[in-house]
Amino acid sequence: MDNNAGWQWEINANQRWFRINLKEILQYKELILRFVRRDIIASYQQTILGPFWVFLQPLFTTFVYFIIFSRVAKIPTDNIPPMLFYLPGSIIWTFYSDSLSSTMYTFVTNAYIFNKVYFPRLIVPLSYILFHSFRISIQLLLFIAVYLFFAFGGKHIHPNASMLLIPVYIFITASFALGCGLIISVYTAKYRDLDNVMQFLLRLFMFAAPIVYPASLIPEKYKLVFWLNPLTPVIEAFRSSFFSHRPLPLFYLGISILSSLFILALGIVLFNRREKQIMDVI
Amino acid sequence: MSNLMIKAENISKFYRLGVLSSGTLKEDLKNWWNRKSLPENAASPNSKNYIWALRDIHFEVKPGEVLGIIGKNGSGKSTLLKIVSRITLPTSGRIRGNGRIASLLEVGTGFHSELTGRENTYLNGHIMGMKKKEIDRKFDEIVDFSGVERFLDTPVKRYSSGMYVRLAFAVAAHLDPEILIIDEVLAVGDAEFQKKCIGKMKSVSGEEGKTILFVSHNMQVIQNLCNRAMVLEKGIITGSGNPESVISQYLKSSDQQFLGHDYTLTAGLPGNEFIRVQKVEMIPDYLPQQQFIDTRTALRIHFEFWYDVEEAGDLMAGIQLFNFTGEMIFDLTSERQVFEKGLISAECLIPGNFLNDGAYTVSLVFIRNAAIRLFYLESCLSFDVEDYRENGSWYGKWAGMVRPGFPVRLTPLQQ
Repeated sequence: MDNNAGWQWEINANQRWFRINLKEILQYKELILRFVRRDIIASYQQTILGPFWVFLQPLFTTFVYFIIFSRVAKIPTDNIPPMLFYLPGSIIWTFYSDSLSSTMYTFVTNAYIFNKVYFPRLIVPLSYILFHSFRISIQLLLFIAVYLFFAFGGKHIHPNASMLLIPVYIFITASFALGCGLIISVYTAKYRDLDNVMQFLLRLFMFAAPIVYPASLIPEKYKLVFWLNPLTPVIEAFRSSFFSHRPLPLFYLGISILSSLFILALGIVLFNRREKQIMDVI
Repeated sequence: MSNLMIKAENISKFYRLGVLSSGTLKEDLKNWWNRKSLPENAASPNSKNYIWALRDIHFEVKPGEVLGIIGKNGSGKSTLLKIVSRITLPTSGRIRGNGRIASLLEVGTGFHSELTGRENTYLNGHIMGMKKKEIDRKFDEIVDFSGVERFLDTPVKRYSSGMYVRLAFAVAAHLDPEILIIDEVLAVGDAEFQKKCIGKMKSVSGEEGKTILFVSHNMQVIQNLCNRAMVLEKGIITGSGNPESVISQYLKSSDQQFLGHDYTLTAGLPGNEFIRVQKVEMIPDYLPQQQFIDTRTALRIHFEFWYDVEEAGDLMAGIQLFNFTGEMIFDLTSERQVFEKGLISAECLIPGNFLNDGAYTVSLVFIRNAAIRLFYLESCLSFDVEDYRENGSWYGKWAGMVRPGFPVRLTPLQQ
C-alpha cells in the first residue's frame, strides 16, 4: 500500500528541504529563456530611445559621479582617468542592484502567475538574473569601447591577461545578488515593511563598495571588513585587469567566490523550503 | 502499474486565520512572542484561529474519466484544485498519480500586455508546460482556433477582451497533458466560441481519452460533460457518483436554501410591539418531475404577521429581493390598507421565467402611513435559482439582473 511503485508523481505534506530538482529546472529551460525574452522586449516597448538606454544609463551615472565625486568632492581615482574609473564600478553595481531588486520581489510581482500554475519557482529569479546578465554584457562592450577610445587617445593604461576572468566577476556578482534576492524574497512576500527598508539599505550598501572611491582609501583597521564584502574584490579586480595599477586581489577574490556561493546556497535552500508556504500568505 | 490516474488519500488543509491577515513584522513578532511566552495558548488545528479548507478528502480518478466537482464558494473546491495543481501543499495526506498534469485555473496566465499575440502564445504555452517544438507544431492550429490571426503581431493590450480570451483559451485548448484540471473557464467568451470550447473538451475527453477534473457552478455543464460528479461542502466530500443523481441530491439538500420559517415552533416571534412575524415561506411551483428551483419556476411568497397598532393609520407590507452580491432586484409593496389589530396574511407571486439564475435573499418590510418603518425582517428567506436552457450550446453566465421571458418578435419587412 505504501510503496510508490506504479506512480509517476506524488504530492504530500512533507517538504523536501534540501533537494533542488536541477533536472526539473533544466526541463524548463525554454521557459527561462522565454521570460528573459519577455523582459527584454517589454523593457523597450514605448520608449523612444529603446535599446540605447542600456548604454545611456551607465554613461549618465558615470558622468554624475565624475562631476560630484571627482570634480566637487575631489576623491582620488587611483590615477585612472575618472570616467574609466567610475564606469566599471557603476556597471557592476547596477547589475548587482538591479538583479537584487528584481529577485527580491519574486513572489510579490509574480503572485498572479504562481497562484495559477505550477512550475519550479526558482525559474523566475533565474530568468531575472539572466536578463540582467544580458544587459551587463552589452554594457561591458560599451566599457571596452570607451576604454579603447581612451587607450588610443594616448592615455597610459595597460590591460593584462586577468581580463579573461570577467566571466568570473560577473558570476560572483550574479550569485551574490541571486543569493541575497532569494533570501529577501521569502520575507518581502510576507512583510511589506521590508520594501522601504531594502530601498534604503541598498542605497547605503552602494557606498560600502569601492564604486565612487578606490579601495586604497580605506584605513588599515577597516580593511578586512571592507574586503569581505563580495563586491569589493570583484570591482577592484576588474579595475586591476584593465589598468594593471595594482596586483590582482586573488586571495579576497577567492573568499568572495566562497562567500557568494554560500549565500546562494542558503538562498536556494530557504527559497525551496518556503515557496509553497508562501503561496498561502501572499 | 496502477490503473488509476490520480489517487488522493486523507487530504487535509487548514489555514491559519490570524497569521494570514497580519503581514506586518510587528504583528508577527507579537504572535511569536505570545507563542513563546504562553505555550499553553499555542494555536492548534482545533482552535478558532484555524479554518479547515479541506478535511480528509479521498478520491480516485480513472483514466478517461471526467470528474466534475461541485460546491459553493468556500466549499474547498479551489483549494483542492490548487493542491492537485501543486500550487499549494496539503497540510496532511498525499496525492499520487500518473501522467502529465496541466491546470487551467485561468486562461492566459502570464500574458504580458506589451507583447504581441504571437509572443504571448509562446510565453503562455511555455508557462503551461509546453515545449517549443510542440507550440511550433500546433501554432497554426492555435491561431486558427482563436480567430485572431490578423492581430498576431499586435500587442495584446490593444486586443478587445473577447480577442484576448479567445487567444488565451486557444493556447489552453491545445495543451496535450494526460490530466487536465479546469476551473470554470467557460464562463467567458461569446456563444460561438463557447460552443467550440465545449466541443473541444468533449473531444479531448471522449476521443482522446484524456482525464479531466472540472470545477463549475453550472450544473448543466457538469451534467453534460462529466461522467462522474463529486460534491464538496465545507471541505468534506458529501456525495459522489452519477452526475445526475449527485446534482439533484445536492440541489435538494443545499443548506443555503431556506424556504420557510414557522416561528411559532421556535422561541419567540421576530418583531416588536407593533409587528410580530409568525410565519414566512416560499412555495415553489414545480413543473412535473422538477426537484429544484430553476429559472422557469414560479415562486409564491407567503407570510403571516400579528398587527398591533391602536391609533388610526394605514399599513403597507413590502417584499424586497436581493441577489448574491446584495443588490436589490425589486422592492414590492402592498397597497395602503387600514387594519384592525390581529393576524394578517400576505401573499405574492413571482412568475416563472423572470429571475436570472443565482442566489437570492428575501427581506420583509412593514411601513405605517407610507412613512414610518414599523419593522424590518432581514434575510428571512434564501434560495437558489438554477440555470435552465433549452438548447445546450452555450453555458456562459446569462447577463442581467433579471431574465424575464418577454418575447422578442422578428418580422420580415422586405425581401
